[in-house]
Amino acid sequence: MNKLIYPIAAVLILAGSAFTFVTAASWQIADGYSIAFSSDDASGIFKGFKGNIAFDGQNPAASKFDVTIDVATINTGNGLQNKHAKSDEWFDVAKYPQIHFISQKIVKAGSGYQVTGDLEIHGVKRSTTIPFAFKSAGTGGTFIGAFTINRSDFKVGKPGGDVGEQIKLDISVPVTK
Amino acid sequence: MFKKALLLGIISGLLAGIAGVIYARVYHSSLGADFSKVAPTIRIIASSLFGGVLAAIGFFLLDRLLKEKGEIVFNLLFSIVSFATLLAPFAVKLPLDLEAPELFPGMVIPMHFFPALAWFTLKPLFIKK
Repeated sequence: MNKLIYPIAAVLILAGSAFTFVTAASWQIADGYSIAFSSDDASGIFKGFKGNIAFDGQNPAASKFDVTIDVATINTGNGLQNKHAKSDEWFDVAKYPQIHFISQKIVKAGSGYQVTGDLEIHGVKRSTTIPFAFKSAGTGGTFIGAFTINRSDFKVGKPGGDVGEQIKLDISVPVTK
Repeated sequence: MFKKALLLGIISGLLAGIAGVIYARVYHSSLGADFSKVAPTIRIIASSLFGGVLAAIGFFLLDRLLKEKGEIVFNLLFSIVSFATLLAPFAVKLPLDLEAPELFPGMVIPMHFFPALAWFTLKPLFIKK
């Protein structure tokens, strides 16, 4: 019986490690991405975006997104608004310099996909589902998604005021292999 | 009188525009902030010319209406209006692809005083009372 322990262990290790090779293709974020937000009164973009994207359209379950937005790169088109947005009243860039999203589950949904993961803004982490599409083009492609969050859920700004509670995010991220 | 005022308005407006264009170039080369997309040369000159001509009309009307006190009121109004327009650059929303919008007011605010500066400098050459 003892003689079987090592062969069994070897088989188990081999079999277990084999599953780690079933991963989605890794994509590099290309220039020209757009992370835009809009609400009743404020709109703008984030210019700093990076992260790791592993995605396989045929096997979304093996896919993984781990991306961050540099909050200091916010641009509303107005210098005063930019300063205000970075202040402790809104994003508090000094304390929370990044918006972080890490996926937990990616599934096919209709003609596109849906990613559910932890979205962390202003130090508040919430499970968020983002519908998106992937348009393949040659060796690259573009992820396109749009979703709405409630800024008060993330304690961004004070409730009420001129800026609406609902903030729409439009994301377009070209990628290459 | 209106002819002289208009001529003064046009020339001071043009000079203010030229000064604005030079200032924009200096601003761009020293700070690297390029706002030529929203404030191109033609727009700087045209808006300065607009200010100069508007000043000429205002000067003429106030001179007619208030006689001796017209010039005093005009000078005061021209300065106040120039100063009041400073709020506009702070409120303007620039295209999102422009870098450092916080530097935009620093470029255009001085330009708001150029028409008045040119007017007050050149006025003794055109209108003598």
